[in-house]
Amino acid sequence: MAHDHHLDIPIDSFRLPSATWTHVRNVLVATTVVGWGACLAGYLQDHDQFSRSYLVAFLATIFMALGGMLFVMIQHLTNSAWSVTVRRFMESLMMSLPVGAILFIPIALNVHSLYVWSLPGGVAHFSGGKASYLNERFFVIRAFIYFLIWTALSWRLWAISRKQDETKSASLCYSAAKVSAPGVFFLFITATLAAFDWNMSINPHWYSTIYGVYCITGGAWGFFACLILICMRLRANGILTHSITVEHYHDLGKWQFALTAFWAYIAFSQYMLIWYANMPEETIYYKVRMEGTWRLLTLALPLIHFIFPFFLLIARPAKRTLSILSFISVYVLIVHYLDVYWMIMPNYAKSGIQFHWMDLAALVAVVGTFGFFFWQRLKDAPIVPEGDPRLAKSLRFHNV
Amino acid sequence: MIQAFINKLLTPPKGSFGVAAEFNSVDSLMAAVLRSRAEGYTKLETYTPFPIHGMDEALGSKPSVLGYIVIAIGLCGTATAIALTWWVGTVAYPLVIGGKPLWAVEFTLPIIFELTILFSAFAAVFGMFHLNRLPQFYHAMFNYSQFTKISDDSFVLVIESADPKFNAERATKFLSSIGGSAVEEVAK
Repeated sequence: MAHDHHLDIPIDSFRLPSATWTHVRNVLVATTVVGWGACLAGYLQDHDQFSRSYLVAFLATIFMALGGMLFVMIQHLTNSAWSVTVRRFMESLMMSLPVGAILFIPIALNVHSLYVWSLPGGVAHFSGGKASYLNERFFVIRAFIYFLIWTALSWRLWAISRKQDETKSASLCYSAAKVSAPGVFFLFITATLAAFDWNMSINPHWYSTIYGVYCITGGAWGFFACLILICMRLRANGILTHSITVEHYHDLGKWQFALTAFWAYIAFSQYMLIWYANMPEETIYYKVRMEGTWRLLTLALPLIHFIFPFFLLIARPAKRTLSILSFISVYVLIVHYLDVYWMIMPNYAKSGIQFHWMDLAALVAVVGTFGFFFWQRLKDAPIVPEGDPRLAKSLRFHNV
Repeated sequence: MIQAFINKLLTPPKGSFGVAAEFNSVDSLMAAVLRSRAEGYTKLETYTPFPIHGMDEALGSKPSVLGYIVIAIGLCGTATAIALTWWVGTVAYPLVIGGKPLWAVEFTLPIIFELTILFSAFAAVFGMFHLNRLPQFYHAMFNYSQFTKISDDSFVLVIESADPKFNAERATKFLSSIGGSAVEEVAK
C-alpha cells in the first residue's frame, strides 16, 4: 500500500547468515573441484578440444564480469538511487575479475591449439602489419595489461564502497564517480582490445571494429540475468526480501530488455555493413557460420537472442512477475553461452555444431571459480552498501 | 443552427463539478483518499504541486493504455516502411545497385527501424495529449478559491459530481469531517 513505504520500512539484515554462507561456499567448492577434475581428465585426453571448450567458457564468463564492472561504474556516474540495494552484488561480481588473470593461464599455455597465427609459419597467413601485433609474447603482455587495469579499477571501486560502509560519508560517492569516469573509457578500450585478441584473432584475416562492443553487450546482458538470479535465490531463502522488491526487479528487467535491443542493434550493424560491402575477407565470418548445422544456429540467433526475449520483456507486467523474470534470466544465460559458442567454435569445427562433454566441464570449472571468489567477498562485507546516503531512497524506491 | 452552436460555446456550463477540499500534507491527502474510497466514493481526483508515488493505486486509477497505443501504431510504422521500401525499390524505381536485390531486409531494416521509432514517438506524444484531454483551455477547477495554491503548497481532493454516490451536502460534510479545509462546491 501507498502509505507504508512512506512511513515504516521493515529492515532486513544486511549480513548473510554464516550457515547459509558456508553451505553455498561448500557447494561452490565441490562443483568447482569436480569441474577442474573433469577438465584435467579432458585435457590429458585431447588438448585441442579442452582449449577450445575452455576458451568459450572463459569468454562467456569474463565478459559478464566486465559487464558487472561497467554497470557499477554507470551507477556511480548517474548517481543512481534505485540500484543501491543490488549494487553490492554487482560489485562482488566485478571483484571476481582479477581471478580472470589466473583463469587466463590455460589459454596462454595453449595458444597453439587456439590461434592459427601462433603456429610456425602462421605469420605467413596475413600481411606484415598484423605480424608485429599477433605474436605470443605481445599477446600475453597485452592480456597482463588488461587484467592489471581491470584489477586496479575493481579494487579501487570496491575499496571506496567498503570504506563508505563504515564512514557513511557522502563525499565517497563523488570519489567513486571520479574513478568511474575514466574507468568506463579504459574499460571499453581494454575490453575491445581483449575481444580482438581473444575472440577475433582466431581468424586473423577477419576484422570488425564493432566486435568489442558486441562482446561487452552480450556480457552485460548475461550479467543482468546472473544478478537477477542471485537476488532471487537469496529472496527464496528469506534474505533481503524487503530491500530488493518487485520495483528493483522491474528496473533490472528494464536493463535486460534494453540490452536485448542493444545487442540486436550492434549485431545487425555488423552484419549489414559486411553484407553491403560484400568483400570476401569480411563475409567469410558469416560464410563459415552458414555451413552445416551452424546455419541453424546462425538463423536462430536473431530469434532467440532478440525477437523472443524482446517481446517477452516488453510488457510492464512481465518485468514485475518474478517467475517470468527468473525464467528469462536462465534463458538469457543459456543463449549468451550459445552466442559465445557461435563466435568461437565455427572457426574450429567447420562441418557443424559438435557439442562435447568438455564444454560443460570447462563451464562448470570457470563459473565455479568466478562464483567462489564472488561469494568470498560476501563473507564479511554487508550484502547491501549500508553506508550509502542514497540507501533510504533505494529502499523506498517506487516505479511511476 | 450556427447561432445555436455559438451560443452553446459561449454559455458557461451549469451545475456542480464536485466538492473540493484542501489538505496540508501528502500524508493527510493520502489518508483522505483512502477514507473516501472506504466510504464508497469512486470518482475522485487529486490536485497536487508534484506527483505523489502511490497516488494512482490509492485512487484506484487503471494503468494507462498508452503503451498499447504506442505498440499498435509503432507496428503500423513497421508495415508502412516495409511497404514503402518494397514499392519504391521494386515497382516505382526498380534499379539494380551494386548487384544487390531490388528489395532485401538487410538494407531496408534501418528504414524499417527508423519509421517504427518515428511512429511510436508520435503515438506516445499525441496519444498522451489525447488521453490527458490536452490542450484544455478551461477546467472547472479554475473556479475553486484555492486553485492557485495547488501549484505551491496545497493538496486538494475532489469528489466529482459524476460519482454515483455524489450528494453535494453529504460530500461537504464528509470532507470536513476527515480534516479538509476550504471545503467548497465547485461550479462546472
